Amino acid sequence: MDDLRLPDDMATALIDHAQAEYPKEACGIIGGPPGEAGKLYRLTNVDPDPIMRYNADPKELKRVTDDIYDHDWDVVAIYHSHTHSPAFPSATDVERAFYPEASYVLVSLMDRQKPDLRAFRIIEGKITEIGVVRDGKESA
Amino acid sequence: MAVEVRIPTILRKHTGGARAVSSRGDTVREVIDTLDAEHPGLKAAIIADAGDIHRFINIYLNDEDIRFSGALETPVSDGDVVSILPAVAGGAASRG
Repeated sequence: MDDLRLPDDMATALIDHAQAEYPKEACGIIGGPPGEAGKLYRLTNVDPDPIMRYNADPKELKRVTDDIYDHDWDVVAIYHSHTHSPAFPSATDVERAFYPEASYVLVSLMDRQKPDLRAFRIIEGKITEIGVVRDGKESA
Repeated sequence: MAVEVRIPTILRKHTGGARAVSSRGDTVREVIDTLDAEHPGLKAAIIADAGDIHRFINIYLNDEDIRFSGALETPVSDGDVVSILPAVAGGAASRG
């Protein structure tokens, strides 16, 4: 599967979001033309247990996906953080992976000084890790 | 009432790949019933056996989440847009 190309400033913004929400899980969407990370949209995690789970605010999700639809873009990636576990999809992540077209980006803040960012495709319950190319340099 | 229904990627296998389809009905429930007659399987993916919207599916009439406006019995008008959006959800689920 194709790598996820992620501009460095977007990767930084994504990790900043995760750090700002710590110890809660942060979540958001990256939209853009197919395969191209064009714009990062932060979403509010409204899950009642936000340290262990995320559920993006449905009203914000509608606004963001409308913007993506109006641009004729794709949901290129969905990101969230794990604050106490590795950057690997959990059983909950797999069970609730409803966007087969998207790359799933995970940021682990188990070591807050060294955030770990990895990307996966999750299709019909199957996890496949993909590379993350940051500003043309392969980082995963 | 004729409405447009926006279909998420995960359900486009039921619509031949179309990202929007037209449907009819006086309520959201009728719109989905009409849709299912033409695109079998869609309803089961949206509505649970108990007759309510699946926990991780959001349905919007224009900009409003119908959970807060009468759910599946929400009336629709000509030209409305019904959007079906799966939740963006998951999480570590355990602190270990």
